[in-house]
Amino acid sequence: MIDRPVKLAAADGYWIGSFEAMASPCELFLEVDDERLANRLLSMAANEAWRIESKFSRYRRDNPVYQINNSGGKPVEVDEEIAQLLDFAEVCWQLSEGLFDITSGVLRRVWRFDGGDQLPNQQQVEQLLPYVGWQKLRWTKPYLTLPQGMEIDFGGIGKEYAVDRSMQLLQQQTDQALLINYGGDIRAVGIRHANQPWSVGIENPNHPDTPKGVLKITHGALATSGDTRRYLLHRGKRYGHVLNPKTGWPIEGSLRSVTVAAGTCTEAGLLATMALLQGSEAEIFLQNQEVQYWLTP
Amino acid sequence: MSVKLFLAALPVVLLQAGCTNLGVEPWERGRLANPEMQLMSDPISAGLDDHIYFSKEASSGGRGFAGGGCGCN
Amino acid sequence: MQLKQQKKISQALTAATCSLLGMNSTDSLAEEGDWTFDSAILYYSEVDRVTAVEPVITAKRDFGEEKALNLKFVFDTLSGASANGATPSDQPQTFTRPSGKGRYTASAEETPLDDTFRDNRFALSSQWEQPINQDYRTGFGVNFSTEYDYSSLSANANLSRDFNKRNTTLNAGLSLAYDTISPEGDIPIGLSSMAVDRGQADYRDEFNASRGESEDNKDTVDLILGLTQVIDRKTIMQASYSYSDVSGYLTDPFKIVSVEGDDGRPVEYRYEQRPDSRGKHSLYWQAKHEFESDILDLSYRYFWDDWGITSHTVDLRYRWMLDSRQYLEPHIRYYDQTEADFYRRFFIQGEALPDHVSADYRLGDMSALTIGIKYGMELQNQQQLSLRLEYYLQTNDNTESVIPGILNDMELYPDVEAIILQLSYKF
Repeated sequence: MIDRPVKLAAADGYWIGSFEAMASPCELFLEVDDERLANRLLSMAANEAWRIESKFSRYRRDNPVYQINNSGGKPVEVDEEIAQLLDFAEVCWQLSEGLFDITSGVLRRVWRFDGGDQLPNQQQVEQLLPYVGWQKLRWTKPYLTLPQGMEIDFGGIGKEYAVDRSMQLLQQQTDQALLINYGGDIRAVGIRHANQPWSVGIENPNHPDTPKGVLKITHGALATSGDTRRYLLHRGKRYGHVLNPKTGWPIEGSLRSVTVAAGTCTEAGLLATMALLQGSEAEIFLQNQEVQYWLTP
Repeated sequence: MSVKLFLAALPVVLLQAGCTNLGVEPWERGRLANPEMQLMSDPISAGLDDHIYFSKEASSGGRGFAGGGCGCN
Repeated sequence: MQLKQQKKISQALTAATCSLLGMNSTDSLAEEGDWTFDSAILYYSEVDRVTAVEPVITAKRDFGEEKALNLKFVFDTLSGASANGATPSDQPQTFTRPSGKGRYTASAEETPLDDTFRDNRFALSSQWEQPINQDYRTGFGVNFSTEYDYSSLSANANLSRDFNKRNTTLNAGLSLAYDTISPEGDIPIGLSSMAVDRGQADYRDEFNASRGESEDNKDTVDLILGLTQVIDRKTIMQASYSYSDVSGYLTDPFKIVSVEGDDGRPVEYRYEQRPDSRGKHSLYWQAKHEFESDILDLSYRYFWDDWGITSHTVDLRYRWMLDSRQYLEPHIRYYDQTEADFYRRFFIQGEALPDHVSADYRLGDMSALTIGIKYGMELQNQQQLSLRLEYYLQTNDNTESVIPGILNDMELYPDVEAIILQLSYKF
C-alpha cells in the first residue's frame, strides 16, 4: 500500500496540517501548543477522510458501495453509517421534490463534463432514465434493494460529510480552535486566542487557476457547489454538471457556483446543491432559507 | 530579419500544435493557483530590476511593459 | 418550489443533518478586506559611482468578479557620478558641466565621471483589469513619471483570450509613451565640440554655439504578443515576442566622445549623437516548475535591434522552502550584449566623424553577472517580509583595433560593480 503523504508545519501560534483526499488538497488549522497532539489530530483527520473516501468511492471493488451497486437487484444489508446516509439522502430527496437524487449517478455514463462540447443525444439520455429515481429503490432499514442497473452515488455529499465527521473526531480529543478545509468545504470550531479569525486561502470560482482569495472565518461551516470546473460548452451554451434527475439533462439557467454558510458542512453543502438545482430560482431559494450565501452567475 | 521572425514564430506554432495534449483538467489546478507559481509572482522586484538593468545595459523589455520611462538610457 | 415549503426545508434540513451527525453549532463568517499593499525599498550602490535609493508602494483593490485596480507609486533618488564616455588620460582633464556653468575634473588615470546629476524622480501608475466575458480579459493603464529634466507619459492596453480549458492563453498588448527631455543648459548639438572654460573671453558664445533646443521629445510604441501554456499540474510556461519602435531624441545629452591625438591624449571632446529612431525586438521564454514545495523559475530573452545590438539574458531562481513559512531563494542572471554599430570608445584625430557615435559603455560589448540571495517569510495575517542581497558585475570588452599612445596604459574598460539590497513588505 502506498503511504499517502501528510505534512505538518508550524505557523504563528498554530499548526497547519495538509494531505490529499477525495481529489482535493486538504488542510487543517490546529491551534494547539503540543506538536504531538497536532500530529495526532492530523493523523486522525487524514485517516477519517481516507476511510470515507475508500468506503464511498465508486472506483473501488471492495467497498460497500460496490456491493450495493452490483447486488443484481437483491437486498443488501448496510451498516449504521450507510443507513444514516441513506436516511439523510431520502430526506433531501423529499425536501427537494426529487431534484436531489443520489441515484442519478448513472447519467455520468453519457455526460462527460470536461469543458469540451460533446453532448449526448436525447436517445442516449432516455435510455438511462429508467435507472434513475429514488422512488424506484426500496430502503427499509437496514436493507437496501436497488433494481438491477441502478446505482447510488454519495459523491454529492461525501466531502462535506468527511469534513463534519473529521471534526467530530477531533473535538473528542481537544476543545481548542480548529479549522478543517477539504478542497473548499470548510468547518471551524472553538474560539481562537484573542478571538482572531482564521485566514483561509480559497480559490476564485470564476478562475480556478488564478491566485486564491482569502476568507476570514471564526466558526461555522462553508460549502461550495458548482460547475466552474466541470461543464460542457456547446454552441456557446454552457451546460453545468448538475443534472436534473427527472429529465437527465443539466439544470437550465443554473448558476456557476453557490457558496453557503451553515452550522455544519453537510448542511451547507446540501443547501448549496439544492440552490443550484433551482436553476434560475436559486437566489430566491437561498433568500428564503435565510442563510448567508455567495453566488457566481 | 525575416529568418529571425520565422524562428520566433516557430516555437509559438509548435506550442500551439502541441497545446491540445498539454494541460490539466480544471479541477487539477490547485498548485498552479498558488501566488508563488504565477509567472509574474513579484511585480515590484521585477519592476525594480527592470529599472536597474535598463540603466546599465542596452536591452530592455521582453516580459511586459515597464510603466513610466526615465531619463537614464 | 413554494415559499412555505422552502422555509420548512431549512429547518428540516438542519434537523436531518443533526440526525446524521449528531451535532449543532452557530455560524459566523466575515470576508477579507479589499485592499492589499506591497511595498519595497531598494538600495543600489556602485563602487565609486552611482547610488540610488528607491522606495515603491503598490495598492491593489479587488472589486470582485475579477475586476481590479492597481496603483503604484515610485520615488527614486540618484546620486553619485556616472562615466561621461571620455577616456582617462595620463594628465588631469577638465570638462564643462552640462549646464555650462562650472566644470568638473578627472584626475590622471581616472575614468572621467560626471557627478552633475543628483536627481529625484517620481512615478505614478494605475492599471485596471477586468474580464469581458468568459474567455476574454482586458486591461488598460496610464503611467506618469517626472524628474528634474525629464518627464514621461504613457498609456497601455491589453487583451487576452483563454483556450483549451484555460490551459492556453494568448495575449496582446500595446503601449504608447511620450517623453520630454529638457536638460539644464539646453540640448547639446550632437557631434559639436565641447566648449571648456579656460578663461577665454568668448567662452559663453562658444558654449552657446554648442547648444541646440531647450527641449526635445521621444515617442515609443510597444507591442507584445504572448502565449502562456500550462504544461502539467506543476509546470507553466510562457513565450512572447515584443517589438518597440522609438523615435525622437534618443541621445544622451551628458555623454561625450574623446577625440585623441596620435599620442593618445585628448585633443577635444565631441558630444555624442545617436540615431533618431530605434527598432527593438525581443523573444522571451519563461518556465516555472514546482517540486515538492520548492519552485524553479527559469527565463531566457533574446534581444536584437536596428542599432546592431544583440543580447542574451538567462535568469534562474530557485525558491527553497525552509518550512511552510520561510524560504531562501538563490538567484543568478547572466547577460551578454554586442556593441551598437555606432559605438566607439574614442576617436583618433583625423578620422572622419560619422553621423552617429557614442562612447557610452552601456552600448558597448559587454557581459554581466548577477548573483544574489533572497530570504522571505510569512508573518501572521498573510503578511510577507523579504530581504534580498545581490552582487552585479559587468565587464566591458575592447573592440577598437587601434589603441594609440598612452591609452595603452589606461584602464579603458573598467568593470562596473554594484550591490543591490532590497527589503519588501506585503500587507
